[in-house]
Amino acid sequence: MRNFSICAALLSISLCGLLNADEQLSMSDSDKAMYAEMVENNPAAMDIADGEETFNRLIGEEAYAKMLGVKAKDLPKYIAGFPRFVKPAGKVVTLAQTLQMAMADRGQNVPKLESKEIVTMSAYVKSLANDQKTNIDVKANKQMKEMMALGQAVFEERRGGRGLSCNSCHSPDIVGSRLRMQPLPDLGAKETAAAGTWPAYRMTQSAMVTLDKRMQQCMKNALLAEIPLGSKEMVALEVYVTNKTKGNAIQIPGLKR
Amino acid sequence: MRKVIMLGIATLLGAADLSSVIESPDATAILLKDALPAPKMYTMPEGCITDNSAAIARGKYIFHNLNGKETKEPAPEGLVKILPNGKEKQYGNCVACHNIEGAKGYGNIGPDLTNYKPLYMDNGVRNAQFVYQKIADPRVDNAQTHMTVNLANGLFTEREVCDLASYVASKK
Ligand code: HEC
Ligand code: HEC
Repeated sequence: MRNFSICAALLSISLCGLLNADEQLSMSDSDKAMYAEMVENNPAAMDIADGEETFNRLIGEEAYAKMLGVKAKDLPKYIAGFPRFVKPAGKVVTLAQTLQMAMADRGQNVPKLESKEIVTMSAYVKSLANDQKTNIDVKANKQMKEMMALGQAVFEERRGGRGLSCNSCHSPDIVGSRLRMQPLPDLGAKETAAAGTWPAYRMTQSAMVTLDKRMQQCMKNALLAEIPLGSKEMVALEVYVTNKTKGNAIQIPGLKR
Repeated sequence: MRKVIMLGIATLLGAADLSSVIESPDATAILLKDALPAPKMYTMPEGCITDNSAAIARGKYIFHNLNGKETKEPAPEGLVKILPNGKEKQYGNCVACHNIEGAKGYGNIGPDLTNYKPLYMDNGVRNAQFVYQKIADPRVDNAQTHMTVNLANGLFTEREVCDLASYVASKK
């Protein structure tokens, strides 16, 4: 009971996950203070500031908007709809992939999706859409429909060392059950808002982590082979998971266990 | 007008160029290699479920632990922590989903297996073959199961599945 009221006070299921992972049913005052401090002062704000500096130096909002074929003032709403079909890509892409395109468009060397530049820039660019509602449209066109269907198939495919799928732990009928002491989050719920809150600072890793990386971490833990960043299947997973959080506000950087 | 057409051409050219700079590796081979064999029905081997204490000790160890790297306690006779290839041996981590006698930090995705024998086996609700099949490949009696597959995918050997079944069915 005490645990429950603390969780409610913390406003976030992911934080409640942290205290359960410690196999404690209540949280010490010093831990509570640490979470409160991080909520106020998210360490990933530094990565976002880095991303802003890099983005303004190498690309810039005007050039980025032009490359995407939208007006700069419409960027926030447009960004809130990723992954989406982008004409100059000819396919459905993530924000991170549009930054690779923008770098090439500006005549720059194209960094890897893993690179600090792309990771911090994509966090910054996504933060331009803060407070916008996630507005992905999985029926917008044939490409999005295909990616949504592929994403669902990848999400539900049992595979790997233990024959698990994402759905084994994230299907609606077991949300809220515990895996060991960890409550299983509802990826679409307002408190989790999975797509709207990544990139997030992950306390257990002391680093900012992107959504695709977070999904790779689930794969690794559950003995599923890791799907590479940027692959069609990974983008499709991002489409599928993002669609679960449609309508939830974007709040970057998130703070997670 | 002319300018607009020029811009249009530039955009078209740009489009072709930009698609090629996007990092987009092919994951088909990775997923193919990671695929799970079709659900498989098994017949429990002769003498599988036993009250042999070494077998039960192995089953217990596999049930409560995740893998050889995370586990502090030494492995019981007949089990290793590190495989010949240097990788850690994977165990069942069954407590992630099931409570059972003495479980610490257990989850509740699966049913509580405490007192399994008196509650379910002695009265014939469940039999040894059911327990064996459930652990070996739970998809056979429940296509939508959230449980792990343990034999059909080669995670464990037949004997290890018997060790697990012996532990679940043992008096504790
Ligand atoms: C064996 C169980 C298990 C499997 C399989 C699994 N997950 Fe998870 N996942 C979890 C748990 C537990 C958490 C929450 C952990 C925490 O609190 O940090 C989580 C968290 C997440 C999150 C972050 C939610 C948030 O806080 O915003 C995402 C996204 C996610 N999983 C996606 C996936 C995808 C995609 C797959 C399949 C490729 C997958 N998961 C497979 C157990 C699992
Ligand atoms: C990711 C979750 C999960 C893990 C890990 C897991 N189980 Fe299960 N188990 C379940 C669920 C859910 C059921 C309920 C039946 C079903 O869906 O197949 C179940 C059912 C069972 C049953 C049958 C209970 C009954 O009589 O109906 C047995 C026995 C069992 N599990 C043993 C094990 C053993 C041994 C392991 C480890 C090798 C294990 N489980 C690992 C989720 C899990």
